[in-house]
Amino acid sequence: MDFLVFIPLFRRVVIIPLMANQQAAAFEKQPMWSGGRSPFNVSYGKLMMWIFLLSDAFTFSSLLVQYGAQRFSNAESAITTKWPDPASIFNHFPFMHGFHLPLLFVSVMTFILIASSVTMVLAVEAGHRKSKKEVQKYMLYTIVGGAAFLGCQAWEWATFIHEGARLDSNMFGITEQGYKHLASVSFGDHFEWEPGDRTWGPVPFAALFFIVTGFHGFHVFSGVVINVVVYIMTIRGVFDRRGHYEMIEKAGLYWHFVDLVWVFVFTFFYLI
Amino acid sequence: MEFHSKPGEYDPINYVPHTESHGTSELWKTFWLLLGITILDFVIYFVMGPSGMRNFIFIFFGLVKAYYIVGAFMHMKYERINLALIILVPTIFIIGLIMGLLYEGNAIGLIK
Repeated sequence: MDFLVFIPLFRRVVIIPLMANQQAAAFEKQPMWSGGRSPFNVSYGKLMMWIFLLSDAFTFSSLLVQYGAQRFSNAESAITTKWPDPASIFNHFPFMHGFHLPLLFVSVMTFILIASSVTMVLAVEAGHRKSKKEVQKYMLYTIVGGAAFLGCQAWEWATFIHEGARLDSNMFGITEQGYKHLASVSFGDHFEWEPGDRTWGPVPFAALFFIVTGFHGFHVFSGVVINVVVYIMTIRGVFDRRGHYEMIEKAGLYWHFVDLVWVFVFTFFYLI
Repeated sequence: MEFHSKPGEYDPINYVPHTESHGTSELWKTFWLLLGITILDFVIYFVMGPSGMRNFIFIFFGLVKAYYIVGAFMHMKYERINLALIILVPTIFIIGLIMGLLYEGNAIGLIK
């Protein structure tokens, strides 16, 4: 791959002269691949975490691209294949039964995940300062945020199943009458499906919703488990004995990746 | 096989670079930015009718959010350029997958 020789050239000619930090620029000028140092200047574990996240990004993008392909391959003309408008399905909010509140609950879920992401990054920052107390505090907030998100997703699934969605069938083929009914209500109005509003709709819509949000939810669950393990290790002073809080950074990378995936799930399942 | 290095020598297995805190102001700025874009998503959903332009805006906002999450939260802005390249460049293949499968899906939809 001859063009790869341009990367060090690019580094020398463009990146290093533009670097504001003189110390970092001096570091960049040292020979990279002649041994005796880490060429990427990261620990082994963090490099492997990045490579794992790259492979996981491919997994999620293949699922989301499959969603796009299924959506494009369903003809608009027939009710049984016409893709339903997400606002007509995800319009519930806890304790507000029967009201038309599209997108509100998922926005709250997104807020919870972004908030738990920022507490995670604050834990990482506290880890840089080796402040055990603050790391503990922020890790606990992150765990609470992750658990809250999982609870929200469980509620979302329960509501969707209750409304008639299954892995192998989907009760969201919205008829002409149904669309007229939807157009007559505005945000916050009372809304219930009437008989004749819905019929059998495209199966891949429900199936892919369960597969993709389920896969993402399983990632959130694993992230919460990892965070709990790291939290217990922090309390027991493992990182103080080790002399660095690198483990918080690795758990943080995974947690932010989960947030990153949710950004795209939110965009493709709920917004578009 | 276990790897042993002499004291004071570079040890690839246990090497951890020295890290310093950049402060929390950038992190909070990123948080408010992400929150603002999410609220904007919510507003645009109701203000604009469904259209290709609206979908384009949502995808663009998604990419902006991804940039800030990867750059600031995942610390990619402060990593070395060669690490950033080996992680970010392979994602180009996703664009090819999107274009190929949307084209195929559309073709199947026309047959249906």
